[in-house]
Amino acid sequence: MNRRDYLFRKIVFGLITLCIVVTIDFFLFRVLPGDPVRAVIGRNVRISKENQQALREQFGLDKPIFPDQFFDTLGQWVHGNLGISWSLRRPVGEVLISKLGSTLLLISLGQIFSIVLGIALGLFAGWKRKKAVDVGALTFSLIAWATPTFWLGIILLAVGSSLFGLPTGGSVDPANVNKTFFENLPDIARHLILPTLTFTIVYLGEYMLIMRSSVLEVLGEDYILTAKAKGMSNWQVMRKHALKNAMLPIVTLIALNLGFTVSGAIYVETVFSYDGLGKLFQDALAKQDFPLLQGAFLLLAVSVIIANMLADILYTYLDPRVRQT
Amino acid sequence: MRVGWMGKPDTLNPAYAFLTESYIIFDLIFNPLVTEAPDGKYVGALAKEWKHSDDGLTWTFTLKDNIKFHDGTPVTADDAAWPINAVMKDPEGWSTLANYVAGFKEVKAIDAKTVRITLDNPIGNMEYRLSFLYALPRKDFEQFKTAEDLQNFNNDKAIGTGPFKLKQFDKDKGVLILDANPDYFDGPPKIDQIIFQTFDNSDALVQALKAGDVDMVTEVPQSAFATVKGFANVKAVQTPGRYFVEMIINSVAADHDPKPTRNPALEDPQVRLAIAHAINKKDLVDVVLQDLGKPATTIVPPILGGGFWHNGDIKDVEFDLAKANQILEDAGYKMGSDGVRAKDKVKLEFRLQYPSDNPLYPRAADLITGWFKQVGIKATPQSVNPDALTAAITPAGDYDLVLWGWGPDPDPDFILSVMTTEQFVEGGWSDSGYHNPQYDELYKKQQQTANPDERQKIIWQMQEMVFNDRPYIVIWYEDILQAYRSDRFKGFIESPLGIESQASLMQAEPVK
Repeated sequence: MNRRDYLFRKIVFGLITLCIVVTIDFFLFRVLPGDPVRAVIGRNVRISKENQQALREQFGLDKPIFPDQFFDTLGQWVHGNLGISWSLRRPVGEVLISKLGSTLLLISLGQIFSIVLGIALGLFAGWKRKKAVDVGALTFSLIAWATPTFWLGIILLAVGSSLFGLPTGGSVDPANVNKTFFENLPDIARHLILPTLTFTIVYLGEYMLIMRSSVLEVLGEDYILTAKAKGMSNWQVMRKHALKNAMLPIVTLIALNLGFTVSGAIYVETVFSYDGLGKLFQDALAKQDFPLLQGAFLLLAVSVIIANMLADILYTYLDPRVRQT
Repeated sequence: MRVGWMGKPDTLNPAYAFLTESYIIFDLIFNPLVTEAPDGKYVGALAKEWKHSDDGLTWTFTLKDNIKFHDGTPVTADDAAWPINAVMKDPEGWSTLANYVAGFKEVKAIDAKTVRITLDNPIGNMEYRLSFLYALPRKDFEQFKTAEDLQNFNNDKAIGTGPFKLKQFDKDKGVLILDANPDYFDGPPKIDQIIFQTFDNSDALVQALKAGDVDMVTEVPQSAFATVKGFANVKAVQTPGRYFVEMIINSVAADHDPKPTRNPALEDPQVRLAIAHAINKKDLVDVVLQDLGKPATTIVPPILGGGFWHNGDIKDVEFDLAKANQILEDAGYKMGSDGVRAKDKVKLEFRLQYPSDNPLYPRAADLITGWFKQVGIKATPQSVNPDALTAAITPAGDYDLVLWGWGPDPDPDFILSVMTTEQFVEGGWSDSGYHNPQYDELYKKQQQTANPDERQKIIWQMQEMVFNDRPYIVIWYEDILQAYRSDRFKGFIESPLGIESQASLMQAEPVK
């Protein structure tokens, strides 16, 4: 099979997965206990029973879930319309896009740092197996991996704000919000330090551990011995033979993680009151804002599927065996 | 000044605002005719003075001088009258304010300075109702043709008459900035600017106060209050609040449709009395609430109307386990070998449910279960999703005992309505199923009693009914917990209205 067919097959499978996920999500939200109208208005004494009913009709909740609500929603989506958020009373697409930027910034910085550091640390630890460096790095990674995100976040927040005067919340100072992105860059960066650090530490451990064991496995292979026998230096062996092979599990892990990072972002964003998608998802769930939830999960599903497709494609470059099957 | 809080306004459009945060901002940027003062009395906001006819059907308000909108337009009586008319004409569109104009017949600007309101029947809480009807610029709101258009309007360039004017509101970015209004008719505030910052995490909010990122916190979490008290340069403020926690006893009529599902022993007034004797409210306040409140008696908290509406004559049922035992014994509930009393095979076994979103309830339930055990009542504590619990209560009536809370309005009308029979329907506010025709009658009567002393008498009587029939055993009243940086600001008024109220922020000033 050539690469084009392979890609085509992956895209078709991706689309099928997407349809299934979206359908499951639709029904999943609707079997949640509770009444979205009540959730939107809270225990508000000012809303009469008549108004609650009007709201219910406006949301389309007076109709049966299947087929009416389901096909109404599907019809909207086919027209590229994600609906109107009940709690924010704004188009879902618009809301998602407005929050996407800051979350992408946070996630990508966190991932880049944790991937680069994790790989470097794992490689180094694997190489210096059983030396003090290895033991130290291993201990650190195990602890980092096991630490709950929100706990680490709160500790870093307390330390960072008391000792280094770093901001306690937000993605930018509210007084600066009217300035342009570039004028605000120093302020945005200051607000990013603690959340990014939290993100990095939490994911660093996992990458390091996988990289280390992967390196150890590769180093035991015959071709490494052969390479050494050819008289290559340790560094050359690492770079030319070990690294490339040891990278395969990491690529899988990164692709898998891309989906989970958004959920990880929920913790980090909540701790640091960081204005992004994670926080939006949490609010949407708490308020049972179905259109927003569906939009959010659509975005999540699409990003996970794309990440996995990218990983598959990357595999074809990293591992010739995949290309040939 | 920077204010840190855990929420943000849902909209600045009074026609359709739900959240407390919205009303905090309305209080600062808008003015109604009259408003609640820190002592619970009503004072003129836009109105210099007002009077009503002897029959209570005609109210006349005279406006103060030099009132201007933030854009400089002078405010006339018409600007105060038209929003009230708009609400009356389109109750569906102005749905959050519609309740306040029920019973209004006509609102008219007689001349540039006088507003006259005529009523269909006397209204007991006229001033309270008017305190939510703000003067608004006509042109901002009259453009909307349908209720939906009106409600979708976010009013994020809100123009009002208040001591602060909106500089910027961007809900997406979570930005809310108010500037002082130098032309305010009662003199400008001493604080130049207020920036509101939303936090998603209460620990971070407390840390922000400590680090000085914010100057005021409108709601300090109960668990953090002791810590905040210890901060340098921070004044922690504890004032009696309106919020209370109660034990709901299933009081749904036996012939209600659908039929209530409960332990029938709860229908016995002696069992209810014994339950009341077996709850140590003082211990609950000390241990669970960490002393951040007071033991409670009635559904009308002591601070409403500055203490005017709360029936202080009601003497609480004392905590006395021996007495509780005796009452049950006398009522024929004999102790079984398993330590649970029973009469005619009806065992005193109850579900004790509470919503899962409040960390205080499980601890309270634990203590209560322990006391109950000593009098031969077996309670099974159970944490339930709040929405599921609501569904189990109304309309199903499927519960025995429930711990939950209410935050009543400044006027007792709302919390009294919770106990009326007609509210026990899906979407209604009753969660006890209390049904007492005499109470319902009194409820209507207090609504139409314009004389405060007479209304007080009725309301006291209603509290007594609820206290004696025990659809609720009100357990505690919670204090409002706030804090501010005393090294930066001073002069706040500590009252049930909160240090962020208009009255308080008009007094507050930076520390030089």
